[in-house]
Amino acid sequence: MVNLILNGLANGILYGGGLALLAVGMNLIFGVLNVIHLAYGQCVMVALYAVYVFAVLLHIPIFISCLLAVAVSALLALLIHVSVVKPLLKAPLINQLLALAGVIIVLENLILATFGSDYVGLQISFPVFSIADIFVKVSSLIPFFVGIITLILIWMFLTRTYTGLAIKAVVQDREMADLVGVKTDRIYLLTFVIGGVLAGIVAACFAPIYTVHPHFGAGFTLTAFVIVVLGGLGNLVGGSVAAFLIGIVSQVAGVIFSSEIGEILVYTIFILFILFRPQGLLGVKVRT
Amino acid sequence: MKRLNRIALPATLGSLFLFLMVAPFFLPLYWIHIFILIFIWASIATAWSYMARFGVISLGHGAILGIGTYVTALLFNFFGISPLLGMIIGGVIAVVFFAGIGYFCFRFGVIGHYFAVTTLVQAMIVYLLIMYFRDFTGGSLGLTLNPRGTNPLFFQFEDKIYFYFISIVFLGLTFYVWKRIQKSKIQRAMAAIENDEAAAESIGIPIVKYKTIVTAISSFFTAIGGVIYAQYMMTLNPDVLSSVGASLDIAFKAILGGMYTLWGPFIGTTLIIGLEEYFRVVHGATLIGWSVAAYGVVIIVLVIFFPQGLHGTIKSVFGKRVQRTIK
Repeated sequence: MVNLILNGLANGILYGGGLALLAVGMNLIFGVLNVIHLAYGQCVMVALYAVYVFAVLLHIPIFISCLLAVAVSALLALLIHVSVVKPLLKAPLINQLLALAGVIIVLENLILATFGSDYVGLQISFPVFSIADIFVKVSSLIPFFVGIITLILIWMFLTRTYTGLAIKAVVQDREMADLVGVKTDRIYLLTFVIGGVLAGIVAACFAPIYTVHPHFGAGFTLTAFVIVVLGGLGNLVGGSVAAFLIGIVSQVAGVIFSSEIGEILVYTIFILFILFRPQGLLGVKVRT
Repeated sequence: MKRLNRIALPATLGSLFLFLMVAPFFLPLYWIHIFILIFIWASIATAWSYMARFGVISLGHGAILGIGTYVTALLFNFFGISPLLGMIIGGVIAVVFFAGIGYFCFRFGVIGHYFAVTTLVQAMIVYLLIMYFRDFTGGSLGLTLNPRGTNPLFFQFEDKIYFYFISIVFLGLTFYVWKRIQKSKIQRAMAAIENDEAAAESIGIPIVKYKTIVTAISSFFTAIGGVIYAQYMMTLNPDVLSSVGASLDIAFKAILGGMYTLWGPFIGTTLIIGLEEYFRVVHGATLIGWSVAAYGVVIIVLVIFFPQGLHGTIKSVFGKRVQRTIK
C-alpha cells in the first residue's frame, strides 16, 4: 500500500510537469484574451496525431517530427484565432464558449473522418527503472524535464523581453496597455499562437506515453483550467505548484481507488477553491 | 404593422397548433420520432433559458439530466418504484445538487467564466460518477429500463403517439413557466441584476435568493424533461444524458434560437435537430465524421453571425423597423 502511494507520488510529480506546461498556455490565453480556450485539449490531440503522421506514416526521425508537430499546432492556433476567436473577442462570453465548442466538434470529427476511431501511437517502448521499489518510466521523465525547461524559458520571455512585458501589461490592464502603445491586436494573436506552440510541445512530450484517439483531448482542457484557477490567474509559479498538486492528487487517488475517483477529487478541489479561495493557492486577495 | 401582428400571429399559432394536434395520426413514424425529440429537447432548452436570460450561464445542465434520469431509472430497475414518483425524487435530488452548488456560487460571487466552468465541472463529476458505479449504471454501455409494456402507472408506452402528446404538453408547461417568470417580481429584479448587479444589491434586491430560485426551477424542469426522454428511449446513454457534450448541446440549441425570447429555444432546437438529422440521414452513411464536422462549421458560423440567435436577430431587425416608422 505504502509502495503504491509512493509510486503514485513519483508518477504524480512527473505527470505534473506536463500539466504545468499545459496550464501555462491556457493561463496566458485566459489572462490576455479573457477567453477560455475550450478546444485546447483538442489542439493537443491534433498535435499528437501530427506527431504520429510524421513519425510513423512518413518515417521522419522522431525529434524532427516533434518539431514539425509544434509547427502544425502553431498554425492550427493561428487558424482558430483568425477564423473564430478574433471575430468574437467582444461577443458575450457564452457565444465565445459555444463557438469554441463548435471548434471541438470540427476538430474531433475531422480527425475521426481521416484516421478513424482506432487508437494510434508511436509504438516506442522506453525502459523502466526502479529506485528502491519505486518504478519510474523513462518516457514520463521527458514531459517533466521538457516542462520545467519550457517553463523557465517562458518565464524569461515574459520578464526579459519587450513583447513578454507587453503581454504581462495586457493581462494587468488592457486599456492602459493599449493607451501606452501596446498593439493589443498583435499581442492577442501572438498569445494565441504561443498557446498553440505550448500545446504542440505538450503533445510532443506526451506522444511516447499515450496512444491517441479522436476524443482524447477533452479531459485536458478542464484539467488545464482547474490548474489555472488553483494557481491564480497570471501566476506562473502558482500554476506550477498547482499542476504538481493536481498531478499528485489524481495519480495517488488513481492507484488507491480508480482513475475516476482521482478526477472527481480534482474537480471537487476545484469547486471548493473557486468558492472559498478564488484568488488561487498563492494569490493575494485584492480589496475592491 | 402592429394590427397585422395582432391578427397574423394568433392565426399562425392557431394553425400550427391544429397541425400539431392532427399530425401524428397521418405522419410516418420517423417524423413523429423527430417531433418528439424536438419537443423534449426544446422544453429542456427552454428550461435552460430561464437562467441564461438573466445572465446566469450554465454549461452543466448535463449534470441535472444525469442525476434526474439515473436516479429515476435506478429506483425503477432495482426497487420497482414508478418513474412517475421517481422523477420527482430524481428532480429534487438534481435541484439540491445543482441549485445547492449554485447557491454557494451566487453567495460567494462566482460569476461569468468562473460560474460557467464550475457548472461544466459539475457535469463532468456526474459523468465520472456514472462511470465509477458502472456495476449499477452500466457505465458507458448505458442502462436499459425493465420493459413493462404499455403501462401508464410505470410511465411506459409502446406507441410513440403517447409520448408525442406527453412531450407537447410538457413543452407547453415549460412555456407557461417562462411566461410566469416573465410576469413575476423575479423578472424585474433579475433584469435589474443583469443591468448592474452591485446597484441592484445596494437597493436591497435579494440577488442570491432570486438566482437560486431561478436555478432550482430550471433544474427541476430539465430533470423532468430528461426523464421523459429516457422513458421514451427506454435506455439511458451517459454521453447523451450527462456528459459535457450533452450540456453544451442544450446551450447550443437555446443560443442559436435566441435565449431571450420565448420561442428562441424551440426554434434553435428545431434547427439543430433538423441539421443533425439532415447530415446524418443524407450524408451520414457515406461521410462518417465529415458530416458532423460540417455541422460544427455551421454552428460556428451561426454563433459568429447571429450572436443574438436566429429569433433574437429577426426580432431586433423587425423591432428597428417598427421604431423607424414611429419616428
